[in-house]
Amino acid sequence: MEQLAENIRSINTSVTHVTPEVILVLAIVVVLVTGLMTSGKLLLTILSSAFVLASLLTCCQRIEEPIQRPLFDGMLTGDSYGTYIKILLDIATLLTIWMSWTNKKITDRLSEYYIVLIGTLLGAHFLSMSINFISAFISLELISLGSYVLTGYTFDRRGAEGSFKYFVFGSVASAIMLYGFSLLYGLSGTLSFGNADFASVLAGSNGMLMYTSAIMALTGFLYKIAAAPMHPWAPDVYEAAPLPIVAYFSVVPKLAGLAVLIRFSEALPGVNGLPDWQNVLALIAILSITVGNFAALWQQNPKRLMAYSSIAQAGFLLVGVVAVDFDGIRIALFYASVYLAANFLVFVYLQFYESKGIDTLESFSGSGRSSLVQSLFLLVGLIALTGLPPTGGFTSKLFIFSALWEAYNASEKPLLLWLLVFGLLNTVVSLFYYIRIPYFAFIRPGSRNLETKFLSFENLFGLVIVLVVLGLFFKPGMLMGWINKINFAL
Amino acid sequence: MQEIQLSLLIFTPLLAASIGLLIPAVNSGLFRYLSLVANLIQIAVIASVLSLFKSGDGIQFVEYQSWITIDLGTWGTLRAAYFLGVDGLSLPLVALSVAILLIATISSWNVKRQTKGYFLLLLLLNAAIIGSFTALDFLLFYLFFEFMLLPMFFLIALWGGPRREYASIKFFLYTLVGSIFILVAMIALYISVQEPMGSQQIVHSFNLVNMRDWSNYLPGSVLEPGNARLIGIFDARQWCFLLLFLGFGIKLPMVPVHTWLPDAHVEASTPVSVLLAALLLKIGGYGLLRIAFPLFPDAAAYFGSFVGWVGVVSIIYGGLNAMSSKDLKRMIAYSSVSHMGFVLIGMASLTPEGVSGSVYQMFSHGILSAMLFLLAGVVYDRTHDRTIDHYSGLYKKMPVYSTFVLIAFFASMGLPGFAGFIGEILVFLGAFKSNSAGGPLHESLAIISTVGLVVSAVYFLWTLQRMFFGPFFVKGEIQADDLTDLRSHEYLVLLPLATAALFFGIIPQPLVNVIEPFAKDFTTFILNAGTSIHSTH
Repeated sequence: MEQLAENIRSINTSVTHVTPEVILVLAIVVVLVTGLMTSGKLLLTILSSAFVLASLLTCCQRIEEPIQRPLFDGMLTGDSYGTYIKILLDIATLLTIWMSWTNKKITDRLSEYYIVLIGTLLGAHFLSMSINFISAFISLELISLGSYVLTGYTFDRRGAEGSFKYFVFGSVASAIMLYGFSLLYGLSGTLSFGNADFASVLAGSNGMLMYTSAIMALTGFLYKIAAAPMHPWAPDVYEAAPLPIVAYFSVVPKLAGLAVLIRFSEALPGVNGLPDWQNVLALIAILSITVGNFAALWQQNPKRLMAYSSIAQAGFLLVGVVAVDFDGIRIALFYASVYLAANFLVFVYLQFYESKGIDTLESFSGSGRSSLVQSLFLLVGLIALTGLPPTGGFTSKLFIFSALWEAYNASEKPLLLWLLVFGLLNTVVSLFYYIRIPYFAFIRPGSRNLETKFLSFENLFGLVIVLVVLGLFFKPGMLMGWINKINFAL
Repeated sequence: MQEIQLSLLIFTPLLAASIGLLIPAVNSGLFRYLSLVANLIQIAVIASVLSLFKSGDGIQFVEYQSWITIDLGTWGTLRAAYFLGVDGLSLPLVALSVAILLIATISSWNVKRQTKGYFLLLLLLNAAIIGSFTALDFLLFYLFFEFMLLPMFFLIALWGGPRREYASIKFFLYTLVGSIFILVAMIALYISVQEPMGSQQIVHSFNLVNMRDWSNYLPGSVLEPGNARLIGIFDARQWCFLLLFLGFGIKLPMVPVHTWLPDAHVEASTPVSVLLAALLLKIGGYGLLRIAFPLFPDAAAYFGSFVGWVGVVSIIYGGLNAMSSKDLKRMIAYSSVSHMGFVLIGMASLTPEGVSGSVYQMFSHGILSAMLFLLAGVVYDRTHDRTIDHYSGLYKKMPVYSTFVLIAFFASMGLPGFAGFIGEILVFLGAFKSNSAGGPLHESLAIISTVGLVVSAVYFLWTLQRMFFGPFFVKGEIQADDLTDLRSHEYLVLLPLATAALFFGIIPQPLVNVIEPFAKDFTTFILNAGTSIHSTH
């Protein structure tokens, strides 16, 4: 009886720290009920945006709060590192909602769409706070289930195929991860990897077995962030899904996966005689960057191109994890913020062109003439993804390579130097494919004459993101000052 | 009082570009005037700078505004500044840029296609070029340096010749690879350098002036002088020097990373070629003199001889290629490669004469290459054919034009009385003196490089003889009637250039006075720093 009362009290105090998530659950209920009564697109969009915005604002308020741990009996942790990730997730979802409501492929079943979208966001929220295998697995599956549905949301043959592929690949990855989790549980005797005992008990266990099971567990996280070698699902899924969802996939599951990956890899002890986790992650980063960039070179479809781009960008995000001792987390968060803005900028305009029937690289020919503003904004987004000045992409690449150099300088691990070399060379390679859309748009002659308006929703939307992307170059201090306030706890 | 001249130079074209953005594209005539007005304002500003500049006073017209300050936690603070200034190295190049940019605008007067885009890109390029020559903060320099890339890419790719796509992409990639090398060196530098008199907090800065001072390097950092980390066969400082050398060498260009240049020139339109040859190449040389050498004096002294030999190879290989070129523009492009070799030798000699010669050579090549490309443009405008073999005896048909060609060719050959001569003779003086003055170059290098003079005489004279003398005839699709002599707007650009080529050949002293204090300072600094490091080992 004492025990129960204690538990209930602990749950009561914990609940106040998951207000954003409670708001999201409310959102699901309200949108569901409203969707039964009306199919007004505007109303549903405003409702969903309002709830996500509320969750966003609640997170913003919490950024300076001290660490709350552990919540719900060690299931979740309440640090502002997780809160910052949640802010990014909420912004990404808001942008997705605003991209979606004009997309004709989706608007037939808008309320269900928003429910699944917010449900996936809820999973991502929980994943970024997880410090326990159970909560990590449940929230990961919540993201996955929503993602399978969203992939096939066009309800056509291609969507179904993409969704099914995603499902099969995802289930296998989950199974492997779960196996890894169970082995780790057996070895450490605890489900909570945020627990201090976890690392100390594991360090005394069978090294080879622990190493293998940790790699299995990592597999699931790498799958979520689409890092090589767990990336092959991404191009097919991206190609099948509607564009707002592609934009969503390229940010939300990736960042949530990154959040838990950082926590998990921090908790893992090294094993004598085997490469340590920094080296393993460095190798994965090299692989992702190289595979993503080189495969992207041959793509003819902008969605597939962006899929490979997102694989390469996952590699760059991992660089922040590799350099984790040197404020790498902050740098990775800065990188993630710029990536979010630049990626959405690109997808907003890819959707614009898709709605005009332009869905291969070649069909962009000559479109720069008749839609100058749109092509220029798209160019800014692509340049930011490449990492050239004067965009925030340059600043974030500069930071990430600086952190890596410092990490190499401190540890003298040759693999980190190789990562630096590969990262830099791949920046050049990436320009090859990022510049291809502008190349077709501006330089190849084409007869296509698009009817465009200067004053449109996309352009207003795009202009704001362009200003953010440029602002992050000229005044990066504003965001960095904010990121500097965050704290981190396992 | 806060100086504003340099900011005026940079922001005038940017302001003009933003005004131009608001003007509808149908008013195509307006954009030329917009560009022209910006150029004329810049001329007025540079005139005031030239009249107020005190030779020998080091860096002047300094503007300093803090720009980016970021707290990076345990790392310290990162600080980049809006830091501008000119000295004896940059002032001649800034003045040259302003003049050549005006000439480029005038010679673009006939651009008919998409004038809005063309002139806006020209204005952006204008700001980026001036910015590169005046920035004294590495990050700011890098911003301008990269920012030249996109306007130039589009200028070649949209208004170029038949193989423009290939040429523009090649240009883009070579330059981008170069700038990645520079980026690595920049990262290593700013991590290792702190601002002097920092409090407890370490302030990492991009200040190029601070980076020269070895007391600003953090103990234990990768680039700490005398204690740099060994990576493979060289230490980190030497690697960084090599990265910068390669990065700027691609821009210069030096053999063997020069192959983008002939393609870019052949495909680019005349004004774009003029800008490329006269100004963009200079940024390579400028970067070496401003960044690579002074920041790594120890490595510069170590690799001096290597740099010199790369220069010799560039001179001779570029010259031989020019000789075998069938296309007039390609011939001129290779002659640029050859002339830039002298710049390398001059700076590698580490003597005041050599370094002055190096800067002088950049300045005179700016004038002469602009003239050469304009002249090649004249004949191309009329016939759309630049094949040297398709012309003969042009002197009879176009006497004034041929006279200008004669002047430009003789000046480029380095004939006494022309600007090219002063630069080359100073470089040779420096190269011969280098060994005895403690510099890294051996006399044999100087002797071999004189072969370059013979080679350049051969290709220029041979081209003169083939195209301009002998009986008049034309081959191919050319209509003889199209070959009319110079028009008024062509006089307008060629006359000032020819005058300048003569003026700076006959009265070199004013320009030498500006450059010399910098050259002396530069050599003393590098030789002293370079030897002090070896004695501490």
